[in-house]
Amino acid sequence: MKHPYGKILIPFIAMVVASTAWAAGAHDGGHHDKKMEKPMVGQPGKAKNVDRTVAITMMDNYFEPESVSVKPGETIRFTVKNEGALVHEFNIATAAMHEAHQEEMQMMVEHGVIKGDRIDEQAMKMDMGDGHTMSHDHANSVLLEPGQSGEIIWKFSKPAELEFACNVPGHYQAGMYGDIEFK
Amino acid sequence: MMKQWIVALAGGMLSLAASAGEYNLTVDRVQIDTGDFVKEGIGYNGASPGPVLRLKEGEDVTINVTNNLDEMTSIHWHGLILPYQQDGVPGISYAGIKPGETFTYQFPIVQAGTYWFHSHSGFQEPNGAYGAIVIEPKGREPFRYDRDYVVQLTDKHPHSGDRIMRNLKMSADYYNRQQQTVGDFFAEADEKGFVATLEDRLMWGDMRMMKADIEDVQGFTALINGKGPEQNWTGLFEPGERIRLRFINSSAMTYFDIRIPGLEMTVVQADGNNVQPVNVDEFRIGVAETYDVIVRIKDEKAYTIFAESMGRSGFGRATLAPKPGMTAAVPEMREAPLLTMADMAGHMDHGGMDHGGMDHGGADQSDMGKAIMDHGSMNHGDMAGMDHSAMSMSGGDASDPFYAAGSGLMPKAANGGKFLSYADLKAQNPLYEHREATREIEMRLTGNMERYEWSINGVKYEDADPVVLQYGERVRFKFVNETMMTHPMHLHGMWSILDVGEGKWNPVKHVISVSPATTVYMETEVDAPGQWAFHCHLSYHAASGMFRKIVVEGGPDSEVAERTQKGQQGGES
Ligand SMILES: [Cu+2]
Ligand SMILES: [Cu+2]
Repeated sequence: MKHPYGKILIPFIAMVVASTAWAAGAHDGGHHDKKMEKPMVGQPGKAKNVDRTVAITMMDNYFEPESVSVKPGETIRFTVKNEGALVHEFNIATAAMHEAHQEEMQMMVEHGVIKGDRIDEQAMKMDMGDGHTMSHDHANSVLLEPGQSGEIIWKFSKPAELEFACNVPGHYQAGMYGDIEFK
Repeated sequence: MMKQWIVALAGGMLSLAASAGEYNLTVDRVQIDTGDFVKEGIGYNGASPGPVLRLKEGEDVTINVTNNLDEMTSIHWHGLILPYQQDGVPGISYAGIKPGETFTYQFPIVQAGTYWFHSHSGFQEPNGAYGAIVIEPKGREPFRYDRDYVVQLTDKHPHSGDRIMRNLKMSADYYNRQQQTVGDFFAEADEKGFVATLEDRLMWGDMRMMKADIEDVQGFTALINGKGPEQNWTGLFEPGERIRLRFINSSAMTYFDIRIPGLEMTVVQADGNNVQPVNVDEFRIGVAETYDVIVRIKDEKAYTIFAESMGRSGFGRATLAPKPGMTAAVPEMREAPLLTMADMAGHMDHGGMDHGGMDHGGADQSDMGKAIMDHGSMNHGDMAGMDHSAMSMSGGDASDPFYAAGSGLMPKAANGGKFLSYADLKAQNPLYEHREATREIEMRLTGNMERYEWSINGVKYEDADPVVLQYGERVRFKFVNETMMTHPMHLHGMWSILDVGEGKWNPVKHVISVSPATTVYMETEVDAPGQWAFHCHLSYHAASGMFRKIVVEGGPDSEVAERTQKGQQGGES
C-alpha cells in the first residue's frame, strides 16, 4: 500500500485533532459553522484500545455493509477496501459535516486532484494560493483509489446522529453512505 | 396493460430459468386533453402517453402489438439493443403493422435503465404514440432511491403532424412566433444604429434563417406524463425520501431546460446508461434523450418541476408533493435566447468566419419574409464590408465545448449554479473496452431552411445510398453541424459512444445532440448485424430528409445463418 492517505498516522493526527481532524469545511467558513459546534462524533482511537474490527467494502457507488452498530465508548478499527473502479472516500461524521466536506471534495475534482479513477498526488500538494493545499488528511476519513485499502481507528462517544459516507462529488447524493447506529 | 408471467424451466435447471414476460399493446385513436385544447391523437392501450412497460434485464419479452388504426403503424423500442427485425422501423426492420393486424415482437432484454417506445410511422409519434420503458437491472444499481417516477415530456401541438409538415414546407417560419418584425427592426435600429441593424438583418437574411429561430415549431403545449401545466402532474413522496426521476423527452421538436427550484439533482443515468453521478441545478434534455436524476427531499414541502423549452416558447410543469393538491410557485419563463453570429459560423463555411467561402447562390432569391429591404443587391462585397468586431464570437463567461464559443444557446442555470454539460458525462461502468476507431465517417448535418429540407452531407434520404458498416469495426462518426438548428442524432441498434475526451470513460448514449456550428464525435462498436435507421430525432427534420439507412455487413456465423433462415423481411413504409 503506497498511497500516503491510505493509512492513518495516529500520533500526528492525535495532536491536530482540534484543528483539522474533522474540520471539514473549517476553512470555507460560512453557514456550516453553526452546525459544526462540537458534534459528538467521537475521536481518533488508539490501536491498543481497539475493541473490534469492522470490514467495509467500497463499491461503485455504495458501501457494504450499509449500516454499522456501535456502542458508546467503543473503539473500532474500520478496515476499508476499495473494490470499485472509482475513487471513494470513507468518512465518519454528521450529515452536516459531510455536506461541508463535499464542497472541499468538489474543489478537489475541479482542480484535478480527484480524477474519477485516480488521485493526482502532485495536484493534491499544490498550494491553493492561501497557504492551504488539497491534502485530504482528516483523521475521520480515508480516500482510496481503486484496489487500495486503508483503515481508521475511531473511538465513539455518546450516541449521535452519525453517518459514514463517501463525499466524492455526487456519490453521497447517489446514496453512498451508511448509518452508524448506537446500541 | 395486461401482463402474464411464464416461468420457463430450461431442462429442469432452475438456475438457467430465464423469465419471460408477455405484454399486449393496442394502438388506438385517443383524445388528448392538454388543458389548453382537446385533440384527437394516437395512443397505446387507450391513452397517450401509453403505459410504462416495466421489464427486467435478462427477461425474454413477447410483445403483441395490435393495430386498431385504419392506417399502418409500427413501434420502435428506442434505445433497446435487439435483433434488427424487432426494431420496428417500416422499410428497414420490417414492413410495419397493417390495420387490424397484430405483430408479435420477441427479443431478449440485455440492458437496464430508462428508455421509451414510439411509432416510427408517419407523424404518429407527434400525434401521441409514445410510452416509457423502465428496465430493472439484474444486479444492484450503483445508487439508492426509495421510489421512482417516469417524467415523460412532449410538445403537444394543436395541429396534426401532417398539417405541421405541410405548413413548414409552405413556409419554414410558419410556426415561428418570435420572428422579428418591421417594428423590431426600427426598435433595434434606434438602439444599435440603422447601419448595424441593417447589416445584421442582411446577414441573417442571407442565411435564410430567422434570428430567433431556435424552435421551428412553436405553439405547442408542453405535457409531462400527459398533463399540461395547469393539469399539473404530481408525484407524491414522504419527506426524507430519495426519489429517482426518469426524465424522457418524447417531444417531436422541443428541447427542454429542466430544474426543480430549491432542489439539487444528481444525474445518475443518461440514455439508459449509468453515469458517474453529477450534482446539477439544471440540465437540458434533447429530443429523444433520457436523464435519470436523484433528488432527496427532507422537508414537507411541494416542489415544482419546471421544464422551459430551449427557445422559451412554452414550458412544462409538474409537482413533487408530500400530499395531493400541494403546489409550489411556478417560475416565470426566462427571456428567449437569440442565436448569435457564432451559431451561424458553421452554416457559412467550415473554417469559421471567412465569408469568401460563402455560397451566395440563393441570396438574390431570399425574400427575407419579415424584413423590409430588397436584397437583390447582396453580394460578397457587402458581406466582406461588415464589421465583424460586433459579432460575439467569444462572448459569454462560461464555456462549454458542446456549444460554439459565443453561442446564444449556451445554457445557464437559473440560480447561477451548475448546468449539466455533455462534458460532465462519464460512464459509470464502461460498456466496451476502449480502442482506436478503425475509421472515421464524416456526417455534415445540412439543410435549406427556406425550403425546409434537411439532409446529411447535402443529400436527403430518398436520394442517398445506405451507409455501409462492417461487423466488428469501431467507427468514429464526425458530426459537423452546418445548420443553425440543434440536431439530436439517433443511431438505432448500436450504442453511440460520445467523445467527451475521457477515453474509456466516455459516456454511452443513443442520442447525440449537435449544436449549431459545432463538431461532435461519437464512436460506435459495430456489433449488430442487419440494417438500421440513423436520423435526426426532430420529427420534421427526419421526415424531410435528415435520415440514413445503415447496413451492417458481416457478422458472427451463427447470426448470418439465422438471418438466412428467417429471410429478409423488407418492405416499404
Ligand atoms: Cu426514437
Ligand atoms: Cu434535425
